[in-house]
Parts: sequence; structure tokens; C-alpha cells
Amino acid sequence: MVISTVALYFYVKQLMQREVEEELYSTRARVESSLRINKPPYSLPPVFEVEQVAQLGNEKVKDTIIYDPSQDEMEEFRELISYKSINGNYYRITVRNLIVESEDILIAIILSYMFIILLVFLIQFYFNRAKNKKLWDPFFRNLEAMKTFSLSSDTPIPLEKSGILEFNELNKEVTILTDKVRTDYKNLKQFTEDVSHELQTPLAIIQAKIENFINGDTLTEIQFDQLTSIQKDIQRLTQMNKRLTLLTKIENKQFVNLNQVNITGLIEETVQNFHEISSTEIEFSHRDKIRVKMDVHLAEVLCNNLISNAIKYSPQEGKIKVSAKGNSLTVSNKGAKALEHPELLYSRFYRESEAAKSTGLGLAIVKRICDYYGFKIGYHFEEGNHIFSITFK
Amino acid sequence: MKILIAEDEIALQQSIVTYLERDGNVCEVASDYGDAAYKVDLYDYDLILLDINLVTGSGLDVLKQLKKDKKETGVIIISANNSLDDKLDGLDLGADDYITKPFHLAELNSRIKAVLRRGKYGGDDTITFNEIKVDTKSRTAYIEGRALSLTRKEYDLLVFFMTNQGRVLSKEIIAEHLWGDNSDLADNFDFIYVHINNLRKKITAQGAKYIKTAYGSGYKFIAD
Repeated sequence: MVISTVALYFYVKQLMQREVEEELYSTRARVESSLRINKPPYSLPPVFEVEQVAQLGNEKVKDTIIYDPSQDEMEEFRELISYKSINGNYYRITVRNLIVESEDILIAIILSYMFIILLVFLIQFYFNRAKNKKLWDPFFRNLEAMKTFSLSSDTPIPLEKSGILEFNELNKEVTILTDKVRTDYKNLKQFTEDVSHELQTPLAIIQAKIENFINGDTLTEIQFDQLTSIQKDIQRLTQMNKRLTLLTKIENKQFVNLNQVNITGLIEETVQNFHEISSTEIEFSHRDKIRVKMDVHLAEVLCNNLISNAIKYSPQEGKIKVSAKGNSLTVSNKGAKALEHPELLYSRFYRESEAAKSTGLGLAIVKRICDYYGFKIGYHFEEGNHIFSITFK
Repeated sequence: MKILIAEDEIALQQSIVTYLERDGNVCEVASDYGDAAYKVDLYDYDLILLDINLVTGSGLDVLKQLKKDKKETGVIIISANNSLDDKLDGLDLGADDYITKPFHLAELNSRIKAVLRRGKYGGDDTITFNEIKVDTKSRTAYIEGRALSLTRKEYDLLVFFMTNQGRVLSKEIIAEHLWGDNSDLADNFDFIYVHINNLRKKITAQGAKYIKTAYGSGYKFIAD
């Protein structure tokens, strides 16, 4: 741009100079011819001056600056001075022509250039914007569709077709990818469901056989202890199974019944139940009525898991505190130190300490239930207490 | 009592038969849907243990047929599926109880007796053992006519013992019967010991001592 401006500037300047010179020569020719036909020498300064001189000089063309009274400023002129002998007299003929100032040319060029650039830019801008908007529209709409894509959805991702090859290719790949992810996820869920389902019958057989064994011929005490220990493990397997199935069911959104559930009442009941089997003291203060719309069974599981988790991880002499305030439920139990990995707290089979016997699914279930109904669950460690709180909607 | 066990897993079916026959029940078995439907149609039973997932068909269809024929038979559904829907479907169709695999045979036995006790199957809502009599309708236990003051758990425990007479019951089975899924919470089963001891004292005070220790850590309810 700059180069072309400079080039144009010089070119125009050159062109105008030549034009001016041509004009100078033609004016001189006219003056000459008028002198030849013996017209008296006539001057029209500064355009041309004719003078009689003693001898001939060299012809020359140069720039000069002369005061122009009509404009009251110094003006640049191109000047042709030539000497001629006409009818025996020597004349000096000076012809001048006003030339356009080079700054003016430059400014004119720059201005027009700027105007053109601006115009082109504006047109391009609006044109491109309109065109891009139209061009990328399917892309952005598909992007929105991808954002709302859920792993567990039953329908494939709704992508829009467009006339653009690249986008269609992208759509194809995204569809293949999401379909694959969806099937894998479904298979995984199905697998969990199948495994827990299929495990139940063999477990039932083992359990039944052990029971018949215990009631059969006389056993030694050691044999009896071994057999009851197997029963305990079967029970653990059964529990794990039940919980995995429950998790899968929540993930499959199979709990659609909504009832008004009195959480505070449920907690009271749960605390009462646990009082019978655990020596850990449970203090239930602040019994604000919390009423929530949710599945009754899930509400029971929620309360049960929260409190049983607290009991499992509470030291023998530690007291468990439960309180229902406003619309949030808090359960806290004593602990030596804060959890090392609180981010793993709700993962399946995560146990902070191996000491506590648990399936490692209790809190994962609590979290799923909360996610399912949009409750907020939080954990923090404060003054030697692990504190879980659930804020209901 | 005449009981039909419709269960396609032969090992489980035979274990149930072994356990129930010891109480003097007459057990018949059906290993698939056709067999079960045929036997239900042909014979009368006091009770049917019905697996929902019979290889060749659904146990629920056998139940429907049974109700259509207006037979006075108690039905306990056995299922590997602990989904609530199945349970409700079964109970809606007229089953008396529902039990999920895996289960303890003592628990199953207890439920069978409970179903059979109900008036509509000719039972009389009472369990009697020597001088102990339990009225399951009013949930009261009597010794020689005098009512015992038992807590809820003590009452449940007594009924569980009485319906599984002569059987060795481990603490695990007892805990699961009384507290279900929460029984895994206890680090030891001392609390069972406490309950049993209390129960023992209450019935011993009236002149009975039937709860015996078996193999050091189990219990057995048996006459002296």
C-alpha cells in the first residue's frame, strides 16, 4: 500500500511535470511565431516574458519559486528559458507554468487511498459477517446440541445437516463417537445390572447349603465359626450387590414416584433404629421440619446411609450430631484429621481407612440421590468433626 | 404341611426341601414353568414357593392361574430381582409375601410359618410351644396364660426362635432377621447377646429355659 502510494506519487508528479513542460514548449513556440511575424515583444509575467538580449545563451528548464501577487503567496513554477534569434534580434523567451505542489498531490493520493481502504474494509466487514453468520450457523447449533448431550440419554445426539462438507464430516464423526460412548455406557450399566442380578442365585445356593450344613451333623466349634464367617461374607456380597443395583437404578432414573417426605421424621426413626444396634451416641438437635418431594424409598436410603456412614467412621466414644435447620440437614462425626482426598469421597469403593468395614458405596449412593433431585451436598472438616450437610430444594 | 417349591435352580430347590422336610413338611418340586403350572392345576398345596424367573416362563403367570382357579394356597414369591415393581406386581396379584435372593432358610421358614398362620389358610394366629403361647395378631406372648412384657425386638426374636425350633441360628442370621441391611453396622454382635439374655431372663423367670447356646456363638431353641 505504502509502496504503491509512493510509486503513484512519483508517477503522477512525473506525468504532470512532462505535461507542464510540453505546455511550456508549445507556449514558447507560439511566442516565437508571434515574434517572427514582427509583432512587438509582449510580456505577461509570470506566464511569459520576452526580452531582447545581447547574445544567445543555453536553453534550460528549471523549477523556480516566484511571488504570485494574484494569490499573494510564493508559488512553484516550471520555467523554460530559451534564447532565439528572430529577424536578426536576439531574444530571451522565458515561459513559466504553475505546477501543482507535490504536497497537494501526496495528500490527494493518501486521502483517496484511505477512503478506498475504508470503504473496502467496511463492505468486507459487513459482507463477511453476514456470510460467516450464515456459514457457521449449523456449526454453532450443533455445538449447542453437543453441550446438552447426556451420556445416559436414549436418543442419539440431534445434529443438523448443512450444505458444508467439513461440517457434515464433523457431524458424522461426532455422531459415531457419541453413539459409541452411549452404547458403551449402556453396556456398562447393563453389565453392572446383569452381574448383580446373576450373582444372587449362586449366593442364595451357597447360603442355603451352609445353613443346611450347620443344621446337619454335629460340627466342631471351629467349623461352625468358619461357616458363620462365610455367611458374613455372603452378607457383605449381598449388600454390595443391592447397593450397586440401587446405584444403577438411580442412574437409570427408575425412581419416578414423588411423595411428600418428612425428612426429620425419617431421621428420628433412623436414629432410633441405630440406637438398638450401635453403642455410638447420636444427638439429634434442632428438629426443624424438612419436607421434601422425593421417592420414599430413596429418602430412607439417604437418611440411613448418612447416619450409618457416620457410625462406621466414628470412634467408639465419639458422639454423632445430627441437626435439621431450615432446609438443610447436617450430620457430623468425630475424626482425627480431615480427609486426605475429599474429592474421592463420593466415588464408588473409596474408603479413607481400611479399618471401617463398609461396601464403599454408601456415600456414592447419597451423592447420586442428591444429584438426582438437585440437592446440594457438602463436606468439610471442622474442629475434629467430619461434617456432611445436605441442602434440600 | 404340603408345600410346592417351584424353583429352577436345582441346588437351591433341594436345599430348601432338605430344610423344610425336617419340620415334617411334605415337599414337592417343580423345575420349570410347565411343571409348576401342571402341578398347581392338578394338586392342592398349603403353600407354594414361587420363583418369578422360571426358565420357561414367569412365576407370575402361575400365580395368576392359581388365583383364577380360586385356590386357597399361600404364595411366597422368590426373586433374584429386588426391584420394587416386581414385588408390588407379585403382591398385587395376591402373593402373601416376597423374598429376595439370597435369603436365609431360617428366614424363609419363618415367613412360611407366618403365611400359614394367617386365618385364611386355616391357621389360628398362634404359635404354641409347651407352656409358651404367642398370639401373632396382638403380638403378645403368654406363659401359662400370663402375658409377658416384651420389647418389640424381644418379641420378634422369640417368634423367630419358635418358628425355627431345633435349628442352629448364628448371630448373623438373627441380626439380619431383626435389623435387616443395617445389621452390618455392628462391629460385634454383643447387642444380640443383650437382647437374647433379656429374653431368656423373661421367659426363665416364668419357668422356661429353651434358648440354648450352640457351638459357642450360635443359638438353638429346643425343649429340655
